[in-house]
Amino acid sequence: MDFNDEGSHFELKEIQTLSGHTDRVWSLAWNPATGTDDTQPVIASCSGDKTVRIWERSALTRSWDCKAVLEETHTRTVRSCTWSPSGKLLATASFDATTAIWENVGGDFQCVSTLEGHENEVKSVSWNASESLLATCSRDKTVWIWEVMPGNEFECASVLQGHTQDVKMVKWHPTMDILFSCSYDNTIKVWAEDDTGDWHCIQTIGESSNGHSSTVWAISFNAEGDKMVTCSDDLTLKVWEADIEGMRSGDDQVLWKHISTLTGYHDRTIFSVHWSREGIIASGAADDAIRFFVESKDSAVDGPSYRLLLKKEKAHDMDVNVVQWSPGENRVLASASDDGTIKIWELATNST
Amino acid sequence: MPSDLQQAVAPAGRRNRGGHVPSTHLTGEIWLNAQPGYRRKEVEEMSEKFSPTLRIGDLNDFIAPSQACVVSLKGLKANSNVAKKPVKPEVAVGINRQTEPVKISLKDCLACSGCITSAETVMLEKQSLDEFLSNLDKGKTIIVSLSPQSRASLAVHFGLSPPQVFRKLTTFFKSLGVKAVFDTSCSRDLALIEACNEFVSRYKESLLSEAEKSKVALPMLSSACPGWICYAEKQLGSYILPYVSSVKSPQQTMGAIVKRHACHSMGLRPDEIYHVTVMPCYDKKLEAARDDFTFEVESPERTDDTDTMVTEVDSVLTSGEILDLIKLKAVDFKAVEESPLDSMLTNVDEQGHLYGVAGSSGGYAETVFRNAAKTLFGREIGGPLNFRTIRNTDFREVSLEVDGKTVLKFALCYGFQNLQNIVRKVKMGKCDYHFVEVMACPAGCLNGGGQIKPNQGQSPKALLQSIEAVYMDNVVNADPYNNPLVRGLYDEWLGQPGSEKAKLYIHTEYHPIVKSITAQLHNW
Repeated sequence: MDFNDEGSHFELKEIQTLSGHTDRVWSLAWNPATGTDDTQPVIASCSGDKTVRIWERSALTRSWDCKAVLEETHTRTVRSCTWSPSGKLLATASFDATTAIWENVGGDFQCVSTLEGHENEVKSVSWNASESLLATCSRDKTVWIWEVMPGNEFECASVLQGHTQDVKMVKWHPTMDILFSCSYDNTIKVWAEDDTGDWHCIQTIGESSNGHSSTVWAISFNAEGDKMVTCSDDLTLKVWEADIEGMRSGDDQVLWKHISTLTGYHDRTIFSVHWSREGIIASGAADDAIRFFVESKDSAVDGPSYRLLLKKEKAHDMDVNVVQWSPGENRVLASASDDGTIKIWELATNST
Repeated sequence: MPSDLQQAVAPAGRRNRGGHVPSTHLTGEIWLNAQPGYRRKEVEEMSEKFSPTLRIGDLNDFIAPSQACVVSLKGLKANSNVAKKPVKPEVAVGINRQTEPVKISLKDCLACSGCITSAETVMLEKQSLDEFLSNLDKGKTIIVSLSPQSRASLAVHFGLSPPQVFRKLTTFFKSLGVKAVFDTSCSRDLALIEACNEFVSRYKESLLSEAEKSKVALPMLSSACPGWICYAEKQLGSYILPYVSSVKSPQQTMGAIVKRHACHSMGLRPDEIYHVTVMPCYDKKLEAARDDFTFEVESPERTDDTDTMVTEVDSVLTSGEILDLIKLKAVDFKAVEESPLDSMLTNVDEQGHLYGVAGSSGGYAETVFRNAAKTLFGREIGGPLNFRTIRNTDFREVSLEVDGKTVLKFALCYGFQNLQNIVRKVKMGKCDYHFVEVMACPAGCLNGGGQIKPNQGQSPKALLQSIEAVYMDNVVNADPYNNPLVRGLYDEWLGQPGSEKAKLYIHTEYHPIVKSITAQLHNW
């Protein structure tokens, strides 16, 4: 898709606002196994109201409805949620220091396991591609890796120390067992397993290596997995690249290199960034706006650069905490905000 | 660094960066106006649990220059106010106007849930070398008890054997005015026998029907590691503590022997002795500071009729601090003469050979396993135990089968990660081990945070391997039950293993610690 076609005009159309949470919505996740030909898309959202809500689009009316409220398990804010790649399990990370694992048993969500160990607030949780590992991170500055055992058992495979402050997000590489974490200490860390099964930090991207100068809030990968975008309190998005073939062949010296900084587009903290399959980077920020960026064709001399495709002002009434592209439908996006709502959007083209 | 638990909670100076902070737009406004440089979303990520009053009142604490320790902030705050702009009046309300920095004792650390063990700064400040040196000339009788792990650390550092280090240290300490240098391998043998006895009775208890059981019996979790005990008390609490062995650590067992028994044969009152231990571990300092390890004695010299509180172990120095002391005194340690060892409480035989159990973290699993196999099942196990590696070398297990049935299943579980899995299994009621030797440090006590740091160019792994290799060098592997010193202690003092006296002196209790709000405010 050529986004540089001057004849196209992009517009962010609101499809529906999902109300129900009684406090700010911190995060949401599309179930990756839904939204295909024979299943309707499903979203999980989590909130300061201590609940997780499951939303599903009706096949008949195309309208989104809340199908389930997962409550009375977490005793404090649920900060993030994520579906396993198969869509069978949902992991939720809470300020109550636990991570809960939920299974959909005949339409009824049951908490099948609770992972304890973090000293305090768990901020983020991520499944690896093969669903064999789960990572969590916390205000206690640690990143934990859990091995998924048969029978919904989880064993702690590693407790990683390295960040000097609150760890905001953990994210597995989309295809390889390499873990990324970002923190209030302004760094991004890359973690990998060595021959002996021990996990180590193989790269720290800080301010001195073209990294961020303030809290790094989120990480997202492009479809190929050779580029990563990060967003920060320093009002920039940064794009990183690595030799993915080198990594696949087991070269552990492969480092992520800075290729672009998107600066001047944001004037408030950027909390969320998500890269779509077709290459559109969406960002959600503290100025209530959602922005879209695409690679610019013009300036390939010093590597790729990115340009603003669209800025949607007042997407929400308050901070946009998360933006997530639909895994099933192109150009469908969900966002969640401090205003307590979730919005479903379509990035539409109007040919002029 | 100290233990890995320590590392997990070690303070990191918090930078107070000026950054972009929107000053409108949301509920936490007053914070932002009061403190530029503070990040709004971070506040939101934790604000839900505090009342607005508390937030405003404590605001300044939060941004104090160092977040090293929640307790110290009250003191630091006063200083930081001077250095920075005057605080707005509405924020100043509720601020404790104390100007003297608050001194934190290790006892405060034990009672506080802010860190798992203690802030490193506090740990290093207290019970340091200075305190030891200042006590040398206060008229008390100084007794030093040396751990075999520290002995090994010094042996590798100086290229000596453990017995050589022991004899040279004896000369060195005595030149400083120390009366006697003892060996915690000796008290460890006593602690091991008590642990064997406790295990056998817990095992028998576990065989009773539910109705007859009076307590949770198994698995029995070892109790010698103070980092693990702090973690269990502060993070895990009441569900795990009943499984923890009630036997004191070798350090505290030595403390009880010295202050409650041996002093009498030395013609001294307990309060006339200053007892110092040398340990591979910073957390041992915290252990020594526990209220459970003090007792009252009548002081004959006092006329006001008050009792004196006596501490079993007055001071703990790490292996690294002993090296500092040697350097401080400008002693050529390798050239120091070797003195005979104080055989009263040292595992040394008549030919001058050192002896003790082989396990470098105290040999708990091995000793208890052999004893249980013999006592409960009549099986005498010759040769080394076959510990199988499960997840990694820090998680190994050994089992005994009788008539095709596994009757004993023991594990060694070192390091925070492996500890998590044991705790998780216990909590879910799925732990099928009968006994677990738990140590917070990866690779156990030889890798303790208080050991001497690697030389330049030496990897921590290579150093650890050297220490492991030298640990039993010129030390005879011996069964604690054959230790004549321990037999003597039972005969003269305790009676039988598990006796009322043994329970009084060699066993202890654990206390779950409730999390405080101040602690939760710390370090998000």
